[in-house]
Order: sequence, then structure tokens, then C-alpha cells
Amino acid sequence: MEIDFQNDVVPILTRQGCNQGACHGKARGQGGFQLSLLGFDADFDFDAITKQARGRRVFPAAADRSLLLAKPAGRIPHGGGLRLPADSAEYAVIRNWIRQGMPRRAPEAPALEAVSVTPDSVVLAWGQQQALRVTARYDDGSTRDVTHLALFQSNEAPIAAVDESGLLTAGSITGSTAVMARFMGRIAVCDVLIPRPEPVPDEEYDRLPVRNFIDELVWQRLKQLHITPSERCSDFVFLRRVTIDLCGRIPTPEEVDAFLTDDRPDKRARLVDRLLDEPDFADHWAGKWMDLLRPNPYRVGIKAVLNYDHWIRRRFHERMPWDQFVRELIGARGSTFRNGAVTLYRDRRTPEEITTLVSQLFLGVRLECARCHHHPFEKWGQDDFYHFAAYFGRIGRKGTGLSPPISGSEEFIFTGTAGRVTHPVTGQVMEPRPLWGTLPEPGDRDPRDVLADWITSPDNPLFAQVMANRVWADLMGRGLVEPVDDFRATNPATNQPLLEALGRHFRDVGFSLAELIRTITASHVYQLSSLPNERNLADTRNYSRHYRHRLRAEVLLDAVTAVTGVPRRFDAMPPGATAKQIWTHRTPSLFLDTFGRPDANQDPPCERTKDLAVVQTLHLMNSEQIIRDIHDDASTAARLAASDRDAAGVARDLYRRIYARNPTEEETALVAEVLNAPDVSRREAIEDLMWAMINTPEFIFQD
Amino acid sequence: MTLHRNCDGTTRRDCIQLGIGGLLGGGLVNLLRARGESAAAPSGPQPTADRVILIWMDGGPTHFETFDPKPDAPAEYRGEFSYVRTSVPGVLYSEHMTRLAGLLGECAMIRSIRHNQGNHGAGNHYMMTGAPPRIPVGCGAYVSFHPSMGAVVARERGPDNGLPAYFSMPSMTRSGGPNFLGARYAPFVVPDDPNSESFRVRDVALPRALAGARFDRRTRLREQIDRMVRLNSEAAGDPVATFDQYHEQGYNLVTSPEAQKAFDISREPQDVRDRYGRNSFGQRCLLARRLVEAGVPFVTINDGGWDHHRELFPALRKRLPAWDNTVATLICDLKERGLLERTLVVAMGEFGRTPRISTLPDATLPGRDHWANAMSVLMAGGGTPGGTVVGATDRKGYAAVDRVLSPENLVSTIYFKMGIDPGKVLYTPQGRPTHLVSDPTPIRELI
Repeated sequence: MEIDFQNDVVPILTRQGCNQGACHGKARGQGGFQLSLLGFDADFDFDAITKQARGRRVFPAAADRSLLLAKPAGRIPHGGGLRLPADSAEYAVIRNWIRQGMPRRAPEAPALEAVSVTPDSVVLAWGQQQALRVTARYDDGSTRDVTHLALFQSNEAPIAAVDESGLLTAGSITGSTAVMARFMGRIAVCDVLIPRPEPVPDEEYDRLPVRNFIDELVWQRLKQLHITPSERCSDFVFLRRVTIDLCGRIPTPEEVDAFLTDDRPDKRARLVDRLLDEPDFADHWAGKWMDLLRPNPYRVGIKAVLNYDHWIRRRFHERMPWDQFVRELIGARGSTFRNGAVTLYRDRRTPEEITTLVSQLFLGVRLECARCHHHPFEKWGQDDFYHFAAYFGRIGRKGTGLSPPISGSEEFIFTGTAGRVTHPVTGQVMEPRPLWGTLPEPGDRDPRDVLADWITSPDNPLFAQVMANRVWADLMGRGLVEPVDDFRATNPATNQPLLEALGRHFRDVGFSLAELIRTITASHVYQLSSLPNERNLADTRNYSRHYRHRLRAEVLLDAVTAVTGVPRRFDAMPPGATAKQIWTHRTPSLFLDTFGRPDANQDPPCERTKDLAVVQTLHLMNSEQIIRDIHDDASTAARLAASDRDAAGVARDLYRRIYARNPTEEETALVAEVLNAPDVSRREAIEDLMWAMINTPEFIFQD
Repeated sequence: MTLHRNCDGTTRRDCIQLGIGGLLGGGLVNLLRARGESAAAPSGPQPTADRVILIWMDGGPTHFETFDPKPDAPAEYRGEFSYVRTSVPGVLYSEHMTRLAGLLGECAMIRSIRHNQGNHGAGNHYMMTGAPPRIPVGCGAYVSFHPSMGAVVARERGPDNGLPAYFSMPSMTRSGGPNFLGARYAPFVVPDDPNSESFRVRDVALPRALAGARFDRRTRLREQIDRMVRLNSEAAGDPVATFDQYHEQGYNLVTSPEAQKAFDISREPQDVRDRYGRNSFGQRCLLARRLVEAGVPFVTINDGGWDHHRELFPALRKRLPAWDNTVATLICDLKERGLLERTLVVAMGEFGRTPRISTLPDATLPGRDHWANAMSVLMAGGGTPGGTVVGATDRKGYAAVDRVLSPENLVSTIYFKMGIDPGKVLYTPQGRPTHLVSDPTPIRELI
């Protein structure tokens, strides 16, 4: 049989890991031998093997003495160890290829067209096994079983593991995962679903309330998994949850009182309507985008950062539709002193840098890999990258560029008539082209506007889905796709129909953030309790219960301030400003640093981690500042102590203020006991209570 | 979180797959990062140090007036200072480094690190992370593109006792952040001055207002008040359960007399405090010693003000004797306590300074400007062979000419000593594999 280099030899190198990123596939190779990453460039690999190293890698006359065989077979020391035993079938294939004189192409070798895996979705019981088969289809209509040459990877091995032969083994965790099979740069995915062993009668699902499409689609998923949802959360949990989620603050004692005594059946919806109209709503949600967009002021200048902040914040206060926000940002032009949005282009100065940012933020497509090599687990290659980058090729800059650390001067961003983007390898001038679909030539229009129209088009489902997924993640504690900006076939959503429905809904309400949030918070799913039942304790992906999370740094700081009643002063902010309104991470705050705001020096800006750490518990416990605020003469504790409230009144105030609920009888009794303790003054007792409550998870977490 | 917990142990296959695994991204990235950690462990170097005290001389200390004098050079290079002989025959230090000169037998002096980043922002980044800045960086800039040594050590080596693993005093250095490793590995900053009477280590020492009974009362009260239901199953991934662990760690730290002793610098005998020098820098070095003694694996002292474009000589005449005394005391004290063997002390800055003395147009007294072609790095302890001098600069101190080394080599050496494989692959949150240090070759003379 004639051996084809591309179809027969490269897959072996890939399967054995020779060309992976940690070995010969990295940019400087290994031991002087470099292959293209995961075999994406067969020409490159062919040259490396047959022409470099003075031909020592292959000896047609004595094939076994070729370095290509002798090293991985262990006959000559090899840093990568034994990879190709001399008696293996793969060894034989490469030996035959060398003996045949190393043809680049076998005559009439077909080209690979597609790869599929069977089955492509499977439901397994705990511990059950299933063999996967990978089939390659070629352009001559032939197919080939390439299971033995494919690489398998499970997204979540504890749910379903896969071995090198493609044998799936379900674990004993209810859930779903994707298992990927790769062959020659093509990917096929098998969706694996592992339900709970005990089925649940259909009637249980029929009885579940359906307030909108979200409930319907989540219940469908839970039905497949034999999971049932938790109870609906109580009013006080809902009040605190939704106030934190929507406005980034805790409810006031007055709000608690009003909400808990309200007996109108639609009071939850009314509450949401009221919160969505608050300025805090805009500041809270703008802050999330500031995290992603805000550059280092030492780089672009403090004025540009301030203007950028104002630009973003104002649009959230105006409730600007998301598509319009993105169009204005991508098409931004003018002076850094007048139009904050152009700070994007002051900061990101090459088409390449802009490309990675825009594609990731607004399309959920991570193109960074494709800048230098074919994206290993995606379809994107360098062509795609530089065609996309070409939309930013004509950006012009006038005025004074970056002059760190002050960078104080004005710069103008405009679209010129010249400017082009070339492919770094071929040198070819790249035409602007979107990542999928087609677009007419920009002609007289600014190419950025053309691109922005394409990105934000109602016909581009990804644009709406990416934002809907972010919002969903913020409200539900976990994105349907995680990380929230990494959309690809190999990282499927935990509930694809729901993701699509949310995207459509977001588009249909005119890309209104507030409307999307109104819909999500109206669902029964959003209003579930975090307390599990016997069936859903282990569910951390399918929204059968609410997932708790720690309050974000700014929210927690504002909450502490709301409790102590002693406002914090922030540099470069007017008195009375909240942490949510801070416009640069340069504003010093030990509290915010401790609870994880991004490092102001970091480039690029990135998602915050939700890490918990001992320094956080220590800070709440021992921070001199927090203690001072609690003990301050103007603090809530001092005022409560001076009031004539009885123990029940003090308990009610503290519990409403800190936990957004009324104390139980037992808790009231405890407060009375503390207040009546000998040797402790009334004020000290209230300070102690306040400190203790601030240090409990009921304050620190959103439940 | 759940993923981490379910992924106990790493199989051989997992290790093999790491290379391709890095490409997965997705929810897996964290899992992979966790695996990357365990996968590297068996192949990592044998640690010869458990703790690092990094004296970061921000601004770029002159090599001429510290550890690399050029007594034979013309006056406009040589400067105003003379030299002293060190304990190693033929090796000279500048005249104010008298005590450290006597201690060279315990130390190593590296004179041939060089790089090409002549401004503070970029030089800071390069020397602090081992990675050159990815894009041009301005002089006054504070940038972070890669995790700093302290953050990496915090992630790889500690903490083992509830203490924050990476301290920085009195502030974080410009590029001392964790970058993509996440806020958990950010330095624990102690801004207050240990030379002040009222000094406490923030947050880890009880505030005065809570001394004694009041803290106990509050703690009991907190337990009584805390009613939130915990989901006590790992599978539930309840962050509140994780919070409890940290709370307990924090509580133990605050209530443990041993731990509190470590932070209470006032327990140090007066003569020891005097020996270190009754100034902020001296007392910070003393506190650093107490911290490493208590098990903190990485302490940075951000020692600023080495940017002597002007008034170089009067400024250093004033500063160096005390500085020399403090650093020498630190090394001796560590040695006397048997800690030097496993504690690496490093003193360095972002670059050296120009060979030719010059006076800025608006200055009256001369100084030296930024110079990344040569610098001096002092190292002691942690398995560093004493009396070692690595490399040399030319006759006028222009450039490292013998055994030319890079920041990568230096940073790799520090990782290597700490048992961290400098060649290991880390995964960014983007799922992109990135080498800890791109050239993971340590300086063999120092191992």
C-alpha cells in the first residue's frame, strides 16, 4: 500500500503527542526538531522531517536507523521516552513510508473532508461504558475508521472519562459533558448525559410552575437528568438576592419592612421594576464592563480613562440598547478628550490587538491562538484572523500617542483612506472578511462600521447569546457556557436550547439589558432556593437550585458602609461616592484589593476570579478601618445605642440592616441577652453584634 | 471548584495529555491548571530553599557605588567613592559596603546580568517576573503581563499554615502582582511602618480595640448568630463551606500565640532591633526575618529611592552605611538562627546605572542614569555557595562581558532553588499555555 504523508504519517505523530505544544510542536521545537503544532501544516512537517538535520531523520536505505524511528522506539536516547515500539503497527507505517522514499503525497491520495464520531450523543448509567468510533470521510467519497489514530478528551473526566482507545466510562456523578475526538485538526463531539439512577415520574415535572420559556427549558433538562428543582425561595431571600444582583447593594431596613409586609401577589415583579429604574443598577452593570474595557491609566493617560469611564457609565444610565453600545464603541472616532470611546483605540494600537479583544468580548470567539497558528481546538486559522483584523487596518491616529506614565496629551482617532493588514507568513494583503457569512466590500463606508453592523446584526445569533450568557452567569452564579466568553463546539452550553432562546429573547426585546434581566428574574428558576433536595445536591450546572456566591468587592464594601453608616472616602471621588462609582483601580483601597478587584497594572484586563482567601476573612475580622467604622461615634451602632429601642427593636434593626430579614424569636432573645449582659455597655454590645454579623456568611454571600 | 476536588491524583496519561490539554480551554482550563501543578511536581528540582526575602531596590541601584566599583577607571566613571576589599581576595566592593564586604564568604555576587529594558516600568517587569514586557512600556509605568516571582511561589509553595504566602512591604512592587494566577496569589501588603511604636501587621494581628476578652466574646457571639445552612457535601460546591475553612484558618492565626509572636516585632530584644537599624528599612528586614521564621515563603521589601539621576554621592553617603548594616545584619541573624541555609536573600533592582557621571541640566550635583547593560545582584543563603562571584563587567563598568546572563537566568535560579521547575507550563485563563520562564536555565554557579 502506498503511504501518504499527510493522511497516514502525520496522524501518528499527532496521536503519539510528538507535535504537541509541550514538545516538538512548540515554536522553538524540541532538541532542534520542530513540527507544526498538532500537525496543522503538513508541508512544514514534511520539510522538517525529510530536509532538515542534513537528512539524518530519515534513511530510505536503512529505514530503522532513521532518527524519526530510532528515537521514539527507544534505540537512541529520547527526551520524550518510548513512543513508538518497534513492533507496533504505527512504527511499521512510518518505516514503510521511509522505504517508499518518503513521498509527500501518495498518488491519488484523497483529501480529508470531515470527521464524525458515533454515537454523537449518548445517555449512560453510572459506571456504564461505551466505545466511540471515529470516522474520517475523504473527498473521493471513501471513509476510514480512524479511531485508533484519533485523540480523545473529556471536558469533565469525573462525569465521563475517556481512554485513548475511545472507550467512555461514566462516573457516578449526575450531569453532562462533551467528549471530543480529534483527527487531523478536525473535531467531532459526543454529548454524554449521565442521569441519576432513579427515574422520576413525569407528573412531578408536569406540576412544576412555568412562568416563561426559561422554566420550560430548564425543567426539560432536569427531566433528562432525573433531577427535581429546589423549593421557591422565601421573600426575604428574594429581596436580598435581587437587590444585590440588580443594583449591587443590600436592601435598606425600610425596604425590608415594606417588602415583607407587602401582600400583593406581584410584589416580586414590582420590586424588580423598581430596581431596574435605580441609578445603582446602571453603576453596577457598567462596572462589569469597565472591568473588561478599562485600560491602565499609566499607559493611556488618566484623562482618557476617566472619559472612557464616563462614556460607558452614561450609556448604562441611559439604558442604551446593547447593539447600539457596541456599534458606537467599535466605530468610535474623534478626540480622546471629547469621546471616551476612542480610548479603546488609544489603548489597543494594532489591528491584531483590537481583533482579539472585539472577537472575544462581543462574539465569544477567542482568536488569540489563531494570530500565530491554527487554533488547536477550533476552526480558526491565521487567514480568518487577519481577514478580520483587516477591518481595523485603516484606523488612523493623530496628535500625541502614548507617552507613559503620564500620557496626558490629546489624540485623535479617525479612519483613513490608506492602511492595510498583511498576513505575517505569506505577506498577502488581507481583504476585510467576517468570521462567517459574507459581507459586501466596505466601499466608501468606514470598514469598522460595516463590521459593527455585522457583529450586532439580529441575524448573528452569537452576538446576542454571548451577552445573554454573561447576564445569565451574573444572575444565576454560573454561565450556560463557561468561561463566559469562550463559545465553541468543543465547549458546549450546559443547556443549548436555553442559550438559544435567551439569545433570541434578548434580540427580540431590542437588546435591552433591563428587559432581559426582567425576564430572567421573573422565571421560577431564578427564584429557587439554594437549599438542595435529595435529588439535586450535586447539581452545579443545571440550575435546579440557586448557586450562592460571595458579594463582589465593591458590593461588599458598599454593604459594609451601609451597615456601619460611616461612609468611606475614596481618592478622586466626591464625598458620598460608593465603591461602585470608582472609575480607576488606581484609587487606593485595601478592602477592594483584598476582595479581588483587578490589578490596575494588569494587561490585558480580564475577568475577575471569585477566589476566596484567608486574607479576606482576616480583613473582615481585623481590619482597623472596619472596627473604627463600627465604633465610630457617628456609626449605626452608636445611634442605635443612643435610641430608646428595646431589645426587639435593636434586633429588628440589625437583622434587617445586615441580613435583610426579621430576626426569629430565638434571635431576638439572643440579642436581648447580649444587651443585658453585665459589664458590657449597650453600645459595646451592639458593636459586638454588628461585628459578629458582618463576619458571618449570611452577610458576605448572596444566597 | 468541584472539578478541583474531584480530580485527585494525576495519572500518567493525564500528564501526557497535558500538552494537548492546554488547548482545551473551557471549564477545563482550571482543571488543567491544577493538573499542570501536580504533573510538574515529581519532575521539579529538589528545593534547596524554602523561603525568599527579596530586597527590591526600586529605581535601579548603581552598581558602581555598591558592589562593582571601578577604581582604575577615569574619575568621570569612577565617581567619588573609594573601595573596600571583600573577604574574597581580589574582589572589591564600594567603600560604604563594609560589612557586606566582610560577608562575601556567605554570599554570592552576580555582576553580569543584563537586559535591554532601560526604563523603570519595563525593567521592573523583566526582573520581577523573568519575562520581558510584551509591548513597549513607558518609564514610569506600572505593568503586569506575567505573574511575579512572589505570586508564583505563593501558588507553588505555600502557605502551609494559614499565613498569607506572599508578603510585600510597604507596598506591592510595580510588577509584583499575580497577573493571571488570580487575586488569591496577590501579595499581602503591610503598609504600616514597623519602626513606629504603634506598629501592627494589619489584619493578622488583633486590632487594639478588640484585645482580650472582647474578641473572645465576639467570636462566641458570631458562632451563635451564624445560622446559614451549609451544604456539607463536596459535590455541592458550596462556597460557604470553603469560606468556613478560611475563616477557621484566619481565626487560628489570630488566636495562635506562636503566629501572633511572629507579627509582633516589639517582642524582639532591643539590641536586635538596634542592630537592624532603627529605621523603616531596618525594621522591615527584621519583620521579614520574623515572617520567614514563621513559615512565610516569600517576602518582598519594596525599598524605593535608588533612582539617583542627581545628587548621587551625598544621597548614597547618607544611605549606604545604614543599608549595608541592615542587610548584613539580616544575613548574619539568619545564619545565627540556622535559617540561612534554607532562606534565600536577594537584593536587586531593575537595572544598574550609567558608567559616565553626568549632571542634568536642572541639577547642581551629578548622578548616573538608567543602564540595563550591567547591574549587580546580591544573593545569600538557600544553598547559594558562599564566596561566589559570577561574571564581570568591563573596565569602565559599561557592560557585562564575562558570563553574560539574563533576567530569565536569574529568575530561573530563584525558582530552581525553591523547587519550582522554571520550565513548567502554566495555563492562562484563556487556556493558553505559557512557560513560567522562557529560558529556564538557572545560573549553575549558584546552585
